Amino acid sequence: MPKITVQHGCAKAQLALVPKVAKVIKITVETPDVKSFRLQMPNGEASFLGEPGQFGIMGIIGSGECVFVISAQGEDWIEFTVKRVGQVTEMLHALSEGDEVFVRGPYGNWWPYEDCRGRDMLFIAGGIGLPPVRSFLQYCLEHRADYGRIDLVYSGSTYDELVFKHQLFDEWKTVDNMGVHVSLYHEDSRWDGEVAYTAPYLEKLAIDPMGSNGEGRVAVICGGPSLYRTGTKELLKEGYAPENVLTTLEMRMKCGIGKCGRCNIGGKFICLDGPVFSLEEVAQMNRDE
Amino acid sequence: MIIKKDRMGALLGTLAQHKTVFVPALIDGVSKFAPYREGLDVRFDLHNTKLPPKDLLFPQTQKMYRYGETAEGGHYVEQFDESSERVLFGVRPCDMRSINLLDDVFLTKGFVDEFYEAQRKKLLTVCITCAAPAETCFCESMGLSPNEAPDADILLKSCEDCYKVTAQTQKGEAALADWRDFLEDTQAQVLPGKTSLRLNFEGVPQKLSRMYEDPIWDEISTKCLNCGTCTFVCPTCYCFDISQENKMKEGVRFRCWDSCMFSEYTAMAGWHNPRPTKKERVRNRFMHKLCFFEERYGKTLCVGCGRCVECCPVALDITRLIDDIGASDA
Repeated sequence: MPKITVQHGCAKAQLALVPKVAKVIKITVETPDVKSFRLQMPNGEASFLGEPGQFGIMGIIGSGECVFVISAQGEDWIEFTVKRVGQVTEMLHALSEGDEVFVRGPYGNWWPYEDCRGRDMLFIAGGIGLPPVRSFLQYCLEHRADYGRIDLVYSGSTYDELVFKHQLFDEWKTVDNMGVHVSLYHEDSRWDGEVAYTAPYLEKLAIDPMGSNGEGRVAVICGGPSLYRTGTKELLKEGYAPENVLTTLEMRMKCGIGKCGRCNIGGKFICLDGPVFSLEEVAQMNRDE
Repeated sequence: MIIKKDRMGALLGTLAQHKTVFVPALIDGVSKFAPYREGLDVRFDLHNTKLPPKDLLFPQTQKMYRYGETAEGGHYVEQFDESSERVLFGVRPCDMRSINLLDDVFLTKGFVDEFYEAQRKKLLTVCITCAAPAETCFCESMGLSPNEAPDADILLKSCEDCYKVTAQTQKGEAALADWRDFLEDTQAQVLPGKTSLRLNFEGVPQKLSRMYEDPIWDEISTKCLNCGTCTFVCPTCYCFDISQENKMKEGVRFRCWDSCMFSEYTAMAGWHNPRPTKKERVRNRFMHKLCFFEERYGKTLCVGCGRCVECCPVALDITRLIDDIGASDA
């Protein structure tokens, strides 16, 4: 099996700084504060498409723009899944189908899906961390024969916070050789499943770091700062090799093309060199948390 | 070839007929590069201007595109190109080097910044060497020379009452055609400049890369006001923000200078801020200048112009930091 190698600085944005107008063709309400926006270019123009894990920038025409991972895409559409947390995302949530937005991208590197072929996969996400993880998971499911056992460990602080419930509780339950493990951080009257933080839940599940073929399982983890800290610590404790643990780093961004300055961690620009890094690489960075 | 100092005014008048010629000038007590016109207080005798020339290529505020509603109820986007033929005349070697560094940022690493590139292609650079560097100048410690500027299209070497003129690029060679009436084929003695402030920069980037958790950052950031003056006057600071201004159903999206010294610069949704205090911000600024940029581009992002040394209201001095780190055994 090849060593998992994450490529960096490999993006070629088709829309670098100046966006295009796109139409919102579908809005899916995922949770009380999360919606997915499906965008299509008007006049049948081809949309830019991303690699799994790449991101785009979506903006309100006449207001701000923000960075979102491309959470799903089809032949002529892309989708962003947006949690309502600030000014721009509030305005996005007020949009209706048929409205227009600005969109540019794709930016950043992507999950090393080719190097992961033949391995067992463990996907770990918390709350709104699932969309970036799903972009990789979805790829594996579309190429199911290329990957071994797939497990997903997903947690939210409340039942409402869980996104993509249809896939979690229906669609993915029927996938061959796949385990879906969902926990909530707090008791909820609508929930009779596991109540646990991610790290102790991982410990309890004890998913073998070597994988069923002994080649080393790949773990993909994405969530808030505390999930990242405790989750990666737990994985290393369980014996996952740092080069087999993949994550995405987050920083505030404006340009998306490595010019505006703010998203650096040491000499790396997260928009260009990232967002995907292995824990082995993160360990070598001088970083602010 | 030389040009007499008393012929410079006439040369500028001629050049300014076809292009906008930016010259060092004193305007309301502040020295900066301004478009030449009759009556402008042109000052080639200044050490370097208080404000750097970076806004010729990277304007403090730059329109990127306009947008608005179409008659059919959709929206349009229309990109701006406000670039024009310009001459940067009388730039110093340190500032010339800063343009070389901005070129690396805006024109390399897989993405070309189309706004910067459009203006860069239309810029001619004329550099004047420094016969008498200021006491805050330390370009020689940063690997530059006050007597050379390899990236300039035309180099003017300072002599007593004239400048020795050399075209260093094809663009410069072609531009000299307009200078013909003002040049004389005479020899002159070049006055070599020498910086008095000497630092030991040897090994500082390598030492810094091991000093991320060093207590020095607590010490030096204590007095920082996070005012952003250093980034404003720095010829190589290039961070920008993107924002917009709307009027009725139309608007303009622009970018403008930003500063890593400001707390909102890295604040994210949910108010998570990876650089929450001035310690992290000061550390990032100095490490970016002296270490991170080198990791990425193989060059130091400080040209030793001394502007931040002179302008910082609390004397947070990069030269002292370099010396302290150079002397430390990190």
